[in-house]
Amino acid sequence: MNVLEIEHLTQSYVDAYTGDRTLAIGDVSFTVPQGQFVSLLGPSGCGKTTVLNIVAGFVESTGGRVLVEGAPVAGPGPDRGVVFQDFALFPWLTVRQNIVFGLRMQGAGKEERERRAEEMLALVGLDGFGSKYPHELSGGMRQRTGVARVLATNPTMMLMDEPFASIDAQTRRVLQQEVLQIWDSQRPTVLFVTHDVDEAIFMADRVIVLSARPSTVQADIAVPFERPRTWREIQADPRFAELRTELMTMLGVEDL
Amino acid sequence: MSAVAQLEERASVRPVRPRDAIVRYSGIRTWGPFLVVLVLWALISAAGIFPSAFFSSPAEVWERALSLVERGILPAYVGDSLIRLAVGAAWGLVIGILLGFVIGLSARARKFCWPALLFFQAIGDIAWLPILIVWFGFSLTSVTIVIVYTVCFPLIISIVAAIDAIPANMLRAAGSLGASRLQRIVLVVVPAALPGLSSGIRTGLGYGWRALIAAEIIIGTSGVGFMMFDARRQGDVTQVFVGMIVLGALWYATDALLLAPFEKATVERWGMVEGIGR
Repeated sequence: MNVLEIEHLTQSYVDAYTGDRTLAIGDVSFTVPQGQFVSLLGPSGCGKTTVLNIVAGFVESTGGRVLVEGAPVAGPGPDRGVVFQDFALFPWLTVRQNIVFGLRMQGAGKEERERRAEEMLALVGLDGFGSKYPHELSGGMRQRTGVARVLATNPTMMLMDEPFASIDAQTRRVLQQEVLQIWDSQRPTVLFVTHDVDEAIFMADRVIVLSARPSTVQADIAVPFERPRTWREIQADPRFAELRTELMTMLGVEDL
Repeated sequence: MSAVAQLEERASVRPVRPRDAIVRYSGIRTWGPFLVVLVLWALISAAGIFPSAFFSSPAEVWERALSLVERGILPAYVGDSLIRLAVGAAWGLVIGILLGFVIGLSARARKFCWPALLFFQAIGDIAWLPILIVWFGFSLTSVTIVIVYTVCFPLIISIVAAIDAIPANMLRAAGSLGASRLQRIVLVVVPAALPGLSSGIRTGLGYGWRALIAAEIIIGTSGVGFMMFDARRQGDVTQVFVGMIVLGALWYATDALLLAPFEKATVERWGMVEGIGR
């Protein structure tokens, strides 16, 4: 069953100063079956984040249809949790309170929230950090909190908008592996926006490549690697290098 | 994994520099600057640069302060001023905070109120006194209105600015976690605007305090401002000095006892602002 169906999505916007109409998303269609991890890859400015924002319900599309579990998207909702590049944690809440924010919105009782918070803290490797405030954590720990906050409510979809882009390079690799492990425990359907080819391959079951604007789906490529994955294994696999070259060429980055 | 967590934890703990520790714990930070001013003041008055009728020495001012306290004048006047400020500030805070959030949250309210806000902000606080005295006489009402007026504007403007500065993704995050509009306002907008709110309160109260003294000078029946102006009329420079020091000390106390602890427990604790002046 397809959790996400995007049909002939278009998005244009009017420049507030010149009044010119720009077509950002030309014609994008794809579907994502339940439990699949999909990377949305494209050159910068191609509108991949806009696609995610439309799926999340933050932005209204100017054309086409977006269905989540068969129902058209109308505004943000708890069935689609979002992990942000800038974390977007609530600085006045502790890590624990951040993680159970969604449960609180659903009216879950105190006991259930406590229990779930401990589960999630353990799952994302933040035991003992529940009472800290976000600013007391490193970037990697903040993003693990961001993931825990989304997964705490068991959403149908997890939307990730360049979630590792503001994390330093060393931590990023570790975090990518950790997030895959965490994802594996619940297997929500994931739409993962990135401009990093290696990351797109490593994380996903499938990589969808968008062209430069006005964007269309340029390629839709299955990633053949078994899970669980580690960087050590994936990098040693000759298919990784092939896939990487293929995608780099598509993006017009031919430094190989 | 746990090794990484430990590393990350270590990186997030800031080391205490020994220099900071000395400055923090020995009281030098609090009293040092005042000591310097006091010494300079004593030196200037001892050197006789200005005639003593125009420039009192620290000792004279201290004695006069003691005698004003003994005769009950200073405590009564300080009490009067503080009550006026408290009444005015309380109304000012209620009105300013309400208007700040309404204007900050509603585009329609903003469109409607903003021009008026700019217009009335331009009419300085004490520029209202002539008409207020005509309407309400030399009364607490006139003083209160001036203070309310003064406290409101910086408060409204800094709340609106704080609401505008809330990261869009923070509100989006709340929405996608299932928060309704009301929940977003109460659980996200209000706490996220707290740094702006607290700096608005600081500015507003500071202005209000000054407006109070100005109002007391003009309306003048009691209070620290009245005491200073009355002393000037009698050529009593020492008492003017006492009044100035009392003003500074009271503001310092308001900050140290009310504003700073509130900020320390909230916006500073949450890492939303660096300590103000600390």
